[in-house]
Amino acid sequence: MNEMTSIIEESVNDLFAEEVTPESIETMESGGFPEPLWSTFDGGGWTRIALSEEDGGAGTGLSGGYTLMRIAGYHAAPLPVVEAILGTYLLSASGLPIPEGLLTVALADQSPPGENNGRLLLPRVPWARHARGVVVVLPGRNGSTGVAWVDRDSYQVQEHRNLAGEPRDDVLVSSRKPAEEKLIHATSTEQVRSWFALGRAAQIAGAAQKALERTIAYANERRQFGRPIGKFQAIQHQIAVQAEQLYAARCAADTAIAHLGTPQEWECIAAAKILSGEAVGIVAGTAHAVHGAIGFTKEFALQLDTRRLWSWREEYGNEDHWSRRLGEFCLALGEDRLWTFLTAQTG
Amino acid sequence: MNFEPLTLDRETDLLRKEVRAFLSDQRDFLKGGYIDCWSICEPAFSRLLGEKGWIGMTLPKQYGGGGRTYLERYVVVEELLAAGAPVGAHWVADRQTGPLLLSFGTEEQKEFFLPQIVRGECYFAIGMSEPDSGSDLAAIRTRAERVEGGWRITGGKTWTSFAMTCRYVLLLCRTAPPGSEAADRHKGMSQFILDLESEGVTRRPIRNLAGEDHFCEIFLEQVFVPENRLLGEEGNGWRQVMAELAFERSGPERFLSNFRLFSEGLDFLRTSGKGEIGARTIGRLAAQLMNLRQMSLSVAGQLQAGELPVNEASIVKELGTTFEQNLAEALRGPLAIEPGVDAGERMSSLLGKSILTAPSFSLRGGTREILRGILAKGLGLR
Ligand SMILES: Cc1cc2nc3c(=O)[nH]c(=O)nc-3n(C[C@H](O)[C@H](O)[C@H](O)COP(=O)(O)OP(=O)(O)OC[C@H]3O[C@@H](n4cnc5c(N)ncnc54)[C@H](O)[C@@H]3O)c2cc1C
Repeated sequence: MNEMTSIIEESVNDLFAEEVTPESIETMESGGFPEPLWSTFDGGGWTRIALSEEDGGAGTGLSGGYTLMRIAGYHAAPLPVVEAILGTYLLSASGLPIPEGLLTVALADQSPPGENNGRLLLPRVPWARHARGVVVVLPGRNGSTGVAWVDRDSYQVQEHRNLAGEPRDDVLVSSRKPAEEKLIHATSTEQVRSWFALGRAAQIAGAAQKALERTIAYANERRQFGRPIGKFQAIQHQIAVQAEQLYAARCAADTAIAHLGTPQEWECIAAAKILSGEAVGIVAGTAHAVHGAIGFTKEFALQLDTRRLWSWREEYGNEDHWSRRLGEFCLALGEDRLWTFLTAQTG
Repeated sequence: MNFEPLTLDRETDLLRKEVRAFLSDQRDFLKGGYIDCWSICEPAFSRLLGEKGWIGMTLPKQYGGGGRTYLERYVVVEELLAAGAPVGAHWVADRQTGPLLLSFGTEEQKEFFLPQIVRGECYFAIGMSEPDSGSDLAAIRTRAERVEGGWRITGGKTWTSFAMTCRYVLLLCRTAPPGSEAADRHKGMSQFILDLESEGVTRRPIRNLAGEDHFCEIFLEQVFVPENRLLGEEGNGWRQVMAELAFERSGPERFLSNFRLFSEGLDFLRTSGKGEIGARTIGRLAAQLMNLRQMSLSVAGQLQAGELPVNEASIVKELGTTFEQNLAEALRGPLAIEPGVDAGERMSSLLGKSILTAPSFSLRGGTREILRGILAKGLGLR
């Protein structure tokens, strides 16, 4: 890990450890906006982390952003960090102005956005109700990516939530098409979509680590039959498997981050989303099994991690989606080129 | 604990190309394209690799070694495994005995053994398990007693892979007086380099369920071992064995044993119009394989840095052997062919061989349960 990354890691960790409170999370879950957390986060300039240093970024490119997302996942931070950071990055890359305030993103690349009486419908946009506006990603000319800004004034929302209570709103734009669209050349919408998937994989790595830490701590502390339950081999082995899954998911996310900008970027991201998705069932399941009834309560914080894990594994493509895509890619390579592909990573 | 991604430098790229070019000229040795190829002994192939400088690569040049890094060795080894090359004869000597001799051996031992190992001529077996001591390795009973000029060893080992082909076995024995192990079972053990051609040694192959004879029983009756064949310090055996196991548990052989089934199976699906049915399975397996390789490389990097990543190695072995065991299970549905044992029917025999060997993957080198126990401790479960 380079120096800049450790500085980011440390500062963001301090920030979230201090500012992510049960109240801030409760505010989000009851439909409100955690203003104090947001203003500290925004005030620190963290939404610009992936930009160049001249533009107020950390100079690490996207990778610093992903470090932040993992730590946000660890703390269950009630903010759309993935959308805010990548949305800012997309605006900057396309040359559009970056407005003040919270922004979010809608990927409208795969199927034409649904239309509703001549109005554009963007389904399940994170935090759209609280945002200053939405960065809409569309297919551009010649395989490039189109980026457009839709201001909060020109859309209405129908409020929805994911399993973790995070806002996922349907957005109804007042026009058929966003007004101004700028292109990011040499970047496909497929690639942009994968960056968001990697964001969720990074968040999953963070939240899964927290779930594992809680599980180990609880197993060492909770006593039954006169000893800590962590002394029972059945419990130890379950937790060992849980840890294996977390470390696999974390390694896959870190590998994908290390391969940003290389020819294997997309494939490594696909692997990261698959492995993080696979890890979720085991990590969350074991965490709850070991915690017993207390872990099933709203009061006990474990649910903050597990409800996020169950939501995030579905978003931006679940492991079945990415497996099919990666499988098609490997099948097209055939036996001869498969091994060359597998060994092309890290050199 | 962590698995930091690691970047291989350009030099390993050239080395990789060299290995590939070499392998493309070895049709005769590779036509088997073996499943579990590191259990296939071909001394002639081992000697060829020795000539290329691809055995004992990390050993210092003064002992004939390559003076290269663990990552360079990694690249060579993964290329050999992916091709299904018969690397069994020298496997143990290259992977663990060489490095162990380097760490704990006397100058005389290093000068005598290392150059032969490097040439691909001197093969070692692992003498740990006994009939009553498998997972519970500290329960071994084979005992060495001090006699004039050396030691006398009585007892026996079992499941010793390649003991018929190997000239030497690195033997773990009790050296403390009988009864003293009650105090601390991990104390009072020592490792010996035993010449399997010594008087009093009987070897017998044990046929496995796949019909192969690779593991063996060894009976030892009053076998004399000269003083200079004690490895390391008397009583330090347990610590040495633990160091050996870190080398043993994290390499690419823990997830590439049946890579041929994956790569050829993929082609089979593609060319028989089953690509669509198999895509999801292939993608999932590919993701796991890509990641296991990164995790294992990361451990190689830690070994290179002089660390002893015991927990990380346990994770790689557990996830890796689970992957290997799952490979046939996951592919048999989409492949939809009968597993067989006739080499003439390639796909069927790859599948058949994978099914028949799969149980051993999570046993050899420490069982799944033992690894989970190590990891649980490493995680701080008290
Ligand atoms: C193909 C192959 C090659 C081998 N090659 C060699 C070799 O070259 N040299 C060598 O020394 N050995 C070798 N072995 C032996 C191998 O190391 C042992 O098989 C292994 O250590 C397990 O011992 P065991 O077979 O006696 O099983 P046991 O130890 O009897 O275990 C049986 C089952 O009980 C479980 N178990 C045991 N103890 C515990 C516990 N405390 N908690 C929970 N579960 C437990 C095990 O996990 C396993 O599931 C080889 C084995 C195989 C299959």
